[in-house]
Amino acid sequence: MSVAGEKFDAVVVGSGAAGSAMAARLAAGGKRVAILEAGPARENSDLISSGIWARRLKWHGEPVEEAGDNPVGHVFNAGFGVGGAALHHFAVWPRLHPTDFRVRSDHDRGLDWPLDYADLAPYYDQVQAQSGISGDADQEIWRPSGAPYPMKPVPVFAQAEILARGFEARGLTTAPLPLAVTSEPYQGRPPCIWDGWCDAGCPIGALANPLTIDLPKATAAGAILETDATVTRVLTDGSGERATGVEYVDATGSRQVAYADVVVLAAFAVQNPRLLLASATDRHPNGLANSSGHVGRYTMTHPAGLIYGLFDEETRCWQGAFGGQLLNQDGYPKDTHAEAGAFGSYQWMIAQAVKPNDLLGIGTTRPDLFGADLHGFMRRAARGFASMTAVVEDLAVATNAVTLSDRRDRFGVPLARVTHTTAPESRALWLAVLEQGKAIFEAAGAKEVWTGPQGAMHIMGGTIMGDDPKTSVTNGYGQTHDLPNLVIAGPGLFPSSGGVNPTFTVHALAARSAAHLLEHWGELTP
Amino acid sequence: MDRRKFLSRGGTALLTFYLGGCAEELTPGQARERGVPLQVLSAAEVATLDALGETLLPGSAAAGLSHFIDHQLGAPRSEQLLMIKYLGLDPPFDGFYRSGLAGLDGAARAAHGSAFAALAEELRRELVAAVAQSDPPGWSGPPAPLFYFVTRNDSLDVVYGTREGIEGLGIPYMAHILPPSRWGA
Repeated sequence: MSVAGEKFDAVVVGSGAAGSAMAARLAAGGKRVAILEAGPARENSDLISSGIWARRLKWHGEPVEEAGDNPVGHVFNAGFGVGGAALHHFAVWPRLHPTDFRVRSDHDRGLDWPLDYADLAPYYDQVQAQSGISGDADQEIWRPSGAPYPMKPVPVFAQAEILARGFEARGLTTAPLPLAVTSEPYQGRPPCIWDGWCDAGCPIGALANPLTIDLPKATAAGAILETDATVTRVLTDGSGERATGVEYVDATGSRQVAYADVVVLAAFAVQNPRLLLASATDRHPNGLANSSGHVGRYTMTHPAGLIYGLFDEETRCWQGAFGGQLLNQDGYPKDTHAEAGAFGSYQWMIAQAVKPNDLLGIGTTRPDLFGADLHGFMRRAARGFASMTAVVEDLAVATNAVTLSDRRDRFGVPLARVTHTTAPESRALWLAVLEQGKAIFEAAGAKEVWTGPQGAMHIMGGTIMGDDPKTSVTNGYGQTHDLPNLVIAGPGLFPSSGGVNPTFTVHALAARSAAHLLEHWGELTP
Repeated sequence: MDRRKFLSRGGTALLTFYLGGCAEELTPGQARERGVPLQVLSAAEVATLDALGETLLPGSAAAGLSHFIDHQLGAPRSEQLLMIKYLGLDPPFDGFYRSGLAGLDGAARAAHGSAFAALAEELRRELVAAVAQSDPPGWSGPPAPLFYFVTRNDSLDVVYGTREGIEGLGIPYMAHILPPSRWGA
């Protein structure tokens, strides 16, 4: 449905986790909301269980240039179309820890958040009840305070049982992985069948993605979604102190405008800063909301620590959730591997369901093998393969940044260029974590153990929140310091990455931001 | 294609090919068997690609590796399913494949005086092992190890990325069941 030329209370750019969550809450609060999504419409019934078909869910918008020693893997990590990256996310939903919010204060490096864990905790609880998380809060001995999980933990299959032996032998603890996936019927949603197709999107509504949770709520409350609508510019009034709407190109290729009292940018951690930088005006010559010069800075991506092994036992590695079955956060204290020059937190996601092909598939883990050797490996691995992945903290570095390229897209907007090189102490942590992972697999009885290259998992930062308008882009509610009715949502707000998956925190921040906006709406309108 | 239709076909990776002016949904292997005309790659390029595929993962040529890649190179960007899209390269990707295949032939000629497809199996294996490590003498085009990585994964896709391939490993395909009512509808 076209929203061209209309005036809304709020225009939300992007229909992924952050955009859908904001739209649902603002619409439920009585606001007239439009959502502009650059990609195509999608329904749950489009989500086909195939690793090859699932590639349609990944980014295929305008190219993003990548640079630096450790690129962020934009196409793999981003999404395209309704639901965004959340449509193919693995639904591992741990919380950030209190220490993640005060990295600078506690360790004199990285950045602080403008809020504490206690500020966000009620929203974690609220989102958890709405979206549903399966887990066991008592077994998760590292978990910050919060309401117990509303669903029983996910089941543990052979792969996890085997790997848990290794953790136990090394004196480490495991707990059920907190997953936003139904382990039992929940609010009308059926339980998961543990088929390992999360990456291809969940068509039965077991996984809490935007198509299942927030977009139905948003549209039921009156929000209007226009797809194939690429926003090219944020518009401002003559004073340059207020956003007035957005310019976009619709499905027919026509340039349109949608007006709003509040503009929410929820187009993920690369396109949000790109849009701000590309929306420069005479009043904002360096880009909108960029008086600090920090738009685009502090881009982060978790270095992924990939451990693989072969066991004599049958692991049934195809069974379970794509994100894993068990969790270990014994390495969350940021000085755990300080002796190795490392800094930061990490967690293990243990016993991930895998398929034979694709970037995270069995066959890709041994790129050295080909020919008959590869067939032989595939047959052995189908029976005894196991894997786990470390989510390693990526220290915020100002020079890791989204900037504008000299190249332009078909609409004349400069392309985004993302430069990322992992900080030395984060790289040291990744290396130390790999050694621990190999030792765990060996202790579990693996006959062969190997590791993967440094992966890039999730994209965060680029529009960081903070108390000081000189050193951050938004306040603690996502409102840009320069234009308070221009709001950012999504992982781009994170001043630190922590060592956990970001989507739960994205939802909690959106819930907090929407509540604040609704409470202060009168201050945002002219 | 709706999910019910897809599942009724057993999860086979069907693609739409044009044969005699008519659209037909075929697996890449069926397209190869039936001689569906190629859209992007030349016959010589396909000969090299099939020989490479058979070296990387025997059975991939018969599984339709060349037709899969050719089809995808001719597909609209939003429909492209090749794994290369993950690797930070700008589409279109036909130049990557064409120059990589030319590079492979160039390296084969430099080392053995003939095209890659004309080499004996053992020589093909030796050359592919070299390509996996670095650019061999005579190579031109994308970095040889990257070309190896991409085409190796394409071979895995056509051989092990389908229901038949997955179940052939003794792994149940376990596609999602069709929900009794579409969630949210």
